[in-house]
Amino acid sequence: MSSLLLRGARIVDPANTGSASPRDLGVRDGRIVEPVAGEPWDQVIEASGCIAMAGGIDLHTHIGGGKVNLARMLMAEDHRNAANPPPLPTNPLELPSCGCCAPGTLATGYRYVEMGYTAAFEPAMVASNARHAHMEMGDVPVLDHGAYVMLGNDELFLQWLAEGGPDARNFDQLRDYVAWTLHASKAMGVKVVNPGGISAFKYNQRKLDVDEAHVRWQVTPRQVVHTLARALRELGVPHPLHIHGSNLGVAGNIESTLQTITALEGLPAHLTHVQFHSYGTEGPKKFSSAAQRLVEAVNANPQISIDVGQVMFGQTVTASGDTMRQHVQSALGSPRKWVGADIECTAGCGVVPFRYREQSYVNALQWAIGLEIFLLVRNPWQVVLTTDHPNGGPFTSYPHLIRLLMDRSFRDEQLEKLHPEVAANCALRSIARELTLDEIAVMTRAAPARLLGLRDRGHLGAGAVADIALYRDAPNREAMFATPAVVLKDGAVVARDGRITATPVGGTFFVEPDYDRAIEKTLRRHWSQHGSIGFDTVPIGRDELCRCCNGGRLLPAACFASAG
Amino acid sequence: MSEASAPAAGWVCPFCALACDHLQVQIGSGDEPLALRGGDCVRARRGLQDFGSHGAELTATINGHGATLDEAIAAAAQHLSASRQPLFAGLGTDVAGARALYPLACACGAVCDGAGGDAAMHTLRALQDRGQFTTTLAEVRTRADVIVFVGSVPTDMAPLLLERCGVGDPAVATRHLVALHPRDGDVAPLAARAGGGVSVESIAPDGDLFTTLAWLDAALARPAGSAAPAMLCALAERLRAARYAVFIGAPAHLPAHGALIVEAVHRVIARLNVGTRAAALWLDGGNGAATANQVFSWLSGLPLRSRAGPHGLEHEPLAYGSSRLLDGAAVDLLLWASSFDASALPPPCALPLIVLGHPAQAVACTRRDAVFIPVATPGIGVDGHVFRTDGTVLMPLRAVRPDALPSVAEVAQRLLHTVRGMAM
Repeated sequence: MSSLLLRGARIVDPANTGSASPRDLGVRDGRIVEPVAGEPWDQVIEASGCIAMAGGIDLHTHIGGGKVNLARMLMAEDHRNAANPPPLPTNPLELPSCGCCAPGTLATGYRYVEMGYTAAFEPAMVASNARHAHMEMGDVPVLDHGAYVMLGNDELFLQWLAEGGPDARNFDQLRDYVAWTLHASKAMGVKVVNPGGISAFKYNQRKLDVDEAHVRWQVTPRQVVHTLARALRELGVPHPLHIHGSNLGVAGNIESTLQTITALEGLPAHLTHVQFHSYGTEGPKKFSSAAQRLVEAVNANPQISIDVGQVMFGQTVTASGDTMRQHVQSALGSPRKWVGADIECTAGCGVVPFRYREQSYVNALQWAIGLEIFLLVRNPWQVVLTTDHPNGGPFTSYPHLIRLLMDRSFRDEQLEKLHPEVAANCALRSIARELTLDEIAVMTRAAPARLLGLRDRGHLGAGAVADIALYRDAPNREAMFATPAVVLKDGAVVARDGRITATPVGGTFFVEPDYDRAIEKTLRRHWSQHGSIGFDTVPIGRDELCRCCNGGRLLPAACFASAG
Repeated sequence: MSEASAPAAGWVCPFCALACDHLQVQIGSGDEPLALRGGDCVRARRGLQDFGSHGAELTATINGHGATLDEAIAAAAQHLSASRQPLFAGLGTDVAGARALYPLACACGAVCDGAGGDAAMHTLRALQDRGQFTTTLAEVRTRADVIVFVGSVPTDMAPLLLERCGVGDPAVATRHLVALHPRDGDVAPLAARAGGGVSVESIAPDGDLFTTLAWLDAALARPAGSAAPAMLCALAERLRAARYAVFIGAPAHLPAHGALIVEAVHRVIARLNVGTRAAALWLDGGNGAATANQVFSWLSGLPLRSRAGPHGLEHEPLAYGSSRLLDGAAVDLLLWASSFDASALPPPCALPLIVLGHPAQAVACTRRDAVFIPVATPGIGVDGHVFRTDGTVLMPLRAVRPDALPSVAEVAQRLLHTVRGMAM
């Protein structure tokens, strides 16, 4: 095996020591080691003037699965340069692959790695589409990956929730069903999208507030959220319930978001793309920032984490499981076309192209709300940097976003370009905070690793996996974070100066919590009466997962001892 | 009949786009072909008949003469290296095969098009231009109370379509089936399903399907006072009152410019979804081409009818059609992949030909300048994955018995290795 020394980099490793003076970092057999004086190294990388961080981890990015592929097919215009075809790669290690907001899996991997990211998590895997999602992620080169399976809109879960009544008499059954689904789909966590709302839309319900009853099953989003969060807690799944809340994009939806937090009753949870869920109804346009109210709730609930879903200006495409909301949003699509689907009595999807414009009051405010959230939450360990790729903007805009967060004068310059009423009145104008490198490192690697329960990722301590990004320290943080000098994956150099140098297959994270197998008898009966495939065809075994993931390593993540 | 072993459990049928998993395969101990058990399906039965109970020990051929696999790979790679514009067509393969064909196509600058590409483009172009709202088999089975078959009732392509859509299933108490402009012979089998909560009607007003869908849309847009034919006004009323209306069609059965019909169906569905619920389900031709389309789309960003050409990644949904390219002499080599269907032979042409084919195609691929490499069939001789017609369920195919033949993936990987070696 190989060894490597990074000499003289400034280590930014908030999970361990925080920023420190320059020192050496050793890598042996793919893991980080404490260098011992006089030790020989196969390779030495001179890193003075550089900042070393753990490889970036995107815990919420739509990189693979049915709706992503639909987005690619829908966005033909994303795959050409006006009338010209996108050029072929000049790097012989890259296969041709194109697209910005709906990139091919190959381009996704290349572009992430060039920015210093080494892991990415698909947040909206449909259980019936799990094999497909794993296939696509397996074809994202270099990055380790995993997915959260969607629950809470499948008819069986809602039916059982209804049968259990308000005291959840059959909670054990629901919990075992959650565990079985995680096993069968080889997921890393569970996401709930518009709790109950995707199903309700199938029964022609057009809106579902947190305490409103689902027209068919008479259960509420509050019950769905609480039951799923409790199930994951009791199963010991490291990543808590990943919540895309009710009423996404609706003015005044801050009430739903705060009600969702109270529905958790103190259980841990991750609220995703909260920017899209932090809207008030004040002002002449009845659309206002509720970032402050959201932030107060996050500051008061340390068991809650968030990712932002920052909006970036320009063309993108929104790909979501939230059929109910995407059907409404499709009227605002640009270009005016969209894809929707009802899926297998378990989920749905909606894909709507969007162009976020600086001169649009709503879009400009969305942009400001996202930044306000980043800058107002006290504890960076509760916040993860995302654009909800591609929904708020493509992940390639992260370096620009980081500069907005670290550089107030740059931020104020951008603010001046916006719709004048937003520029003049938003709270962002008065926020002086500039995030530090430590805080950026928390939001882009350390916090996501911790929130996913990945103890040997997201930091540079001895024993950690040697996924490392080496950035040249430069005052222009956008340029700095766009093109790291060197990126290591499992101790091997995979990119230099923005050019891919190796394309190993990434590994697949998943969890396999314990559960009572007796539930399979009931599930088998349900599949026979309501399914479209046999019960035995549903689960993905480890060998099959390995084939789906292109032969990448299987990375089963440990569950913690049950808190139930 | 010789003694046979027990049917293999967990078999997923690879012979149509429904990918059923409730049937079984009987493997004989002698020379008899594989046989269907546990139910009937004419396509599955015919598909199995083309395979012996033991894997074929077939060799490759070069210009009709027997050759080793190594020789065939070398000859095929020679053809590929000499080609200035190859066409990879058929693409009857699984995910693994498509994953391996993509880098080979890129290395050769090949245009890629699946069998039945014209039909596939009907739905793809409608999707690219306007989008779509679709559904899946479990949704249809458990919730669809009105099913409209557009232009055909395509049980010839998918014999168990009605069963898989839950027709006669107690999950939905009453279900109304409408055949809109059916073909001759479509109505009788549908009518036979009537009774027990299932009602059937056939609607074929004057004019063609384009006109009918335009009238239907008009009747939905203006419920009162529409000038649409009465039977379409009645259908519009029924659709508005439905809880979940599903439109099912087979693009392969649509006329030229079928994309306009697909788009018209989607327009009707969009209008219905303002007040009630509706969705489409399109039946593809199976045999792996739709799977290749998915895989190429996710790898490159672009669907089939694309190439990595001298100017970049180009997608031409019309100009890159196989028959147009062959007729116009715009390509100088045909690589044809067909691992499921013995009858899916390469289109006639005089170009150098490489076939990664079903063993039963050997006899048809013996001409000059032809390299035939028999490949294992996913779901028969090798494991694999294919997409079901709704595009959301990727079905695992399990080999029913061992096979000495290589998979499309193995052959494509070896070809890539050899072609790259020649370029150096």
